[in-house]
Amino acid sequence: MRRGWNALALAAALTMAAAPLAAQEKTGNRPGFTLAPGTATIVLMRPEIQVGAQSTGGAYEPNADWTDQARENLGKALAEAQGRLGNRVVNFVEPVGQGAATAHEYRALFTTLADSVITYQFFPGNRLPTKKREDSFLWSIGPEVASLPGVQGADYALFVTTEDHYGSTGRKLLQVFAAAAVGVGVTSGMHKGYAGLIDLKTGDLVWLNADQAMGGDVRTPEGAAKRVAQLLEGFPGKPVEAAAPAPSAPAKTASR
Amino acid sequence: MKRFGNRFGMGAIGLALIAAPVAAGNRLIAAGQPVAVAKSVLTVTPSVEWNKLGARPGRNSETWTFDGDALNDLTFYGGIEPEQTLFREVSKRNKPLPRVKVTMLVTDIPTLVENSYRIALDTPLFTVEGMEPMAFAGKPGIRFTYNFTRPDEDLPRKGEGRGAIIGGKLYLITFEAPRLHYFDAGVTAFRQVADSAKL
Repeated sequence: MRRGWNALALAAALTMAAAPLAAQEKTGNRPGFTLAPGTATIVLMRPEIQVGAQSTGGAYEPNADWTDQARENLGKALAEAQGRLGNRVVNFVEPVGQGAATAHEYRALFTTLADSVITYQFFPGNRLPTKKREDSFLWSIGPEVASLPGVQGADYALFVTTEDHYGSTGRKLLQVFAAAAVGVGVTSGMHKGYAGLIDLKTGDLVWLNADQAMGGDVRTPEGAAKRVAQLLEGFPGKPVEAAAPAPSAPAKTASR
Repeated sequence: MKRFGNRFGMGAIGLALIAAPVAAGNRLIAAGQPVAVAKSVLTVTPSVEWNKLGARPGRNSETWTFDGDALNDLTFYGGIEPEQTLFREVSKRNKPLPRVKVTMLVTDIPTLVENSYRIALDTPLFTVEGMEPMAFAGKPGIRFTYNFTRPDEDLPRKGEGRGAIIGGKLYLITFEAPRLHYFDAGVTAFRQVADSAKL
């Protein structure tokens, strides 16, 4: 029973914590950055994909089968989408040995960078004072990325990270029970998706789309296609987007 | 790196998440002005601007950053008294944090940091790389370097610490950042801050 109360207390805390996220921005653009269609070569880094279940208490349990399904589905959806991005998108040729380890570390650094942008830039109430000036969007993974084997000759690198925690039956029951009996909201599942464009000359993050509540079940082909469409929404230089009046200021996407 | 709460301890999870944005009040630390840190008599004079995070890792500590504590984290521990811990307890009954001892020598500081991190971050990947004597606020102190990786991400981080035992209390300043780009990019600013420490 005590455990049950713990879970409820946790759930209540999580809900309260989740509330401010609703007002959060989800897209950032480096001021002054534009990308005309057909002018650049973009290397698509191998996406970081993780899928698992969320237990009743909220703990994450990785699921290898789901992760494999998501890898395949997202891979296909990305391959299909990359031809429509307006610029030449090539797949990153995974180097061997140390190069592969460094590439993996850069993908981890991108994920941490995107987490930091969400925490300290997209959430206005928590923005760092030095990041508040003139709508600045100054984030970088460092110019050293230019020497990563496999990115030479490209202008930009596109990083993609997804992490999905699907709520278990117990978690969903808790959600319903907590809402009905106690009147608190419990989040079930977590679906985070980050897509970011790095300028390979400077390492600067020029565009980021990051949301911790994305749609699309990545375990199915249709869901993966939906997820990819959402990840690449507003991608710079994308023809459909370029036709619409392009916002010059950093885009502040409203919550969906 | 000090957001332990969101990974450890049931109650702490919610509290940490809520406390971060609400109590936030991340403040600007201006360049060139002496500032007292970590609710203590320890004073430093940074030569560049920093952000001070509203959330503290423990009672007598405070964290400064350029881009967020996951990318560059400078933490001050301002006079931790004997029998106190570096951070808030993660799980006092099951995994108590090591405590500052009256008998501590400066050479015990890296071990205290290592054992505290291993528990607080729940990681087996922590190594003290090296240590050497170096004055801290004009008193005999220590400089040490370390590296660690959190269990939930594949991003190795490097760290450097400068500290001393003064008047029976532990004074310590640490800097840590991913070894890719961020450590080298920020360590000079950290060393300048540590060099400027006064009591």
